Amino acid sequence: MDIRKIAVLGAGRLGRGIAENAASKGYDVLLFSQGAGGQDALKRIEKSLDRKLAKWAITESEKKMILSRISHTLDLKELSKVDLVVEATIDHFYTKQELLRTADHLCRPDVVFIATSSTLQVSDLARGITRNELLVGLHFIPPVPEVPVAELVRGFSTSERAVEIAKKFAAQMGKEIIEINESPGLVNPRALISLINEAAYMLDEGIGDAAAIETIIKESWGMTQGPFEMADRLGLDLILNWMEQMQEEFGDRYAPCPLIRRYVRQKRLGVKTRLGFFPYTAEDTIALSQEQED
Amino acid sequence: MKIFVLNCGSSSVKYKLYEMETETVLADGKVERIGQENAQITHQSMNHGEIEKTMPIYEHTVAISESLNLLVHPEVGVIDSLDEITGVGHRVLHGGEYFKESVLVSDKELALMDELRELGPLHMPANITGIRACQKIMPGTPQVAVFDTAFHSTMPKRAYLYAIPYDLYERYRVRKYGFHGTSHKYIAGRVGQLMGKDPAELKVISCHLGNGASIAAIDGGISVDTSMGFTPLEGLMMGTRSGDIDPAALDFIMEKENVPMSNINSMLNKHSGLYGIAGVSDMRDIEKGVLEGDKMCQIAFDMYEYRIRKYIGGYVAAMGGVDAIVFTAGIGENTPSLRSKLCESLSYLGITLDEERNQTRGQDIEISTPDSKVKVFIIPTDEEVVIARDTAAIIG
Repeated sequence: MDIRKIAVLGAGRLGRGIAENAASKGYDVLLFSQGAGGQDALKRIEKSLDRKLAKWAITESEKKMILSRISHTLDLKELSKVDLVVEATIDHFYTKQELLRTADHLCRPDVVFIATSSTLQVSDLARGITRNELLVGLHFIPPVPEVPVAELVRGFSTSERAVEIAKKFAAQMGKEIIEINESPGLVNPRALISLINEAAYMLDEGIGDAAAIETIIKESWGMTQGPFEMADRLGLDLILNWMEQMQEEFGDRYAPCPLIRRYVRQKRLGVKTRLGFFPYTAEDTIALSQEQED
Repeated sequence: MKIFVLNCGSSSVKYKLYEMETETVLADGKVERIGQENAQITHQSMNHGEIEKTMPIYEHTVAISESLNLLVHPEVGVIDSLDEITGVGHRVLHGGEYFKESVLVSDKELALMDELRELGPLHMPANITGIRACQKIMPGTPQVAVFDTAFHSTMPKRAYLYAIPYDLYERYRVRKYGFHGTSHKYIAGRVGQLMGKDPAELKVISCHLGNGASIAAIDGGISVDTSMGFTPLEGLMMGTRSGDIDPAALDFIMEKENVPMSNINSMLNKHSGLYGIAGVSDMRDIEKGVLEGDKMCQIAFDMYEYRIRKYIGGYVAAMGGVDAIVFTAGIGENTPSLRSKLCESLSYLGITLDEERNQTRGQDIEISTPDSKVKVFIIPTDEEVVIARDTAAIIG
């Protein structure tokens, strides 16, 4: 079956990124979201494309073409028209499972579902739906259009056909697909958490100030952002939450550094509160909120 | 003998059916927006005028089948059966160093073309898909590949090598290949006919000025240098391509603007040239702007003319003289003001232009005065007929 029209469930940063990326590779995209935030998802995608246009990555006509391929809807019934579903809602098990169940009733029986969570298990999510063999995990890393790699996992019942379709879709999206085994945190978020935690320990132990630790790690490994900037942009509350999940799963080697707990208690959450490991201006906060979640 | 000529782009297919005895076009057309629900077919046949159809077409194979169906259509068709087609000629972007002339395609040639995909990532996949599709639809019909680079394969090493470590040429064949070869080849032959001389006796500078633009120095009928390089980006200023630029400037821009090389590549190919300077990429808009006193259009026009002039001067030096300068393709054929300015700038070569003849459009014409030391021509290019001729010659 050829995949031409896809549905992206969720119009947050991840969903919009997937929608933009897929449309730029020729897919027709139905972007579904609940609530008021989703209404301006198309405007936000247009802004993202405008930023690319300003830096010559695309042309005006390519921008128009990409936008013309994306439509937004609040009506789940339209899922009956799609060839593939990508679920990209917040990492909340029951919310995701409920949405997948609804989509399961509405989509054609051969349609493959893709779950994008890095912390929830494909096998667990698949239990709630009849097409459990057609659910594949594909972890895209934001900003999706720019990051060239994606992690693929299969659940207990995932079929070979579903994996092949997901691989073909991700390849068409321009991603190098790396298949790994199902495990909480996969590779990318788990490694990220370890790096942030270790950097926080070094700061707490007084080995250097935040700028010194950040610069050494960032520059010596050729990273565009160091661990503290990444943590500040993601939000220390989210990082703490991930660390606690990893600790529950893998034990104390993921125990959050006390400094991170302290910062979260102090509402020192990163860019969004204008103070995390580093201070930020109001403009930084606005810019980040525009870039990120609705 | 009937030859079907095919030019497959990433989302389009253009075709022509020739009767070779008279080189008459029996039908031609194009399929655009392949891959979409609303793909459009525009077909024109000798006896039945134009037909337009909009339908979902997701693959090149379907686009080609639809085109062929129109050729044998009971009402608008121009042939009774596809068996009447003796051969298919395919325009192929890149022949690399493997293909120095047009070839009959077998699995061996297709395998070599597959290797050349990385040299033309936008065009080669579609070109190869077109050949495979025709092999499937018309299994017994010979397929011939005609390469855009082949005519320039006669360039000497001193012209095609870049002055970078030679290892890079040996490892990856990084060198100047040149493009628009089929067009320059047509010009080389046609100008000889118009001058009543054997091309082997002539030194010709062929200026193919379309949205993409290149100049070729053709000495004795063979290409000895051309302005496009490893990719079509090098050389002249174009509609949206920069042409020649100091590569060190790119590193500087990447750092200042904090952008990756992919953005720079897109900037040089799609945001530069006439568009980059004046905000419009069409020479007709530039000419209009010049007449209205638009400063940026004037600058863009001057840059465009100046760069062509420099290349012409360079190629006169490379060949040790020139007998004829030819203008072809959209801008070359339809911009009298550009030709006028160029010929005025090149008057030191003994060129004098007949301004009245210079206003001609759409036909082969000599536009220099009878006493001009170097002859200047407008010759509308015809790449398809070259592809058809090569195909006919190869399949005999």
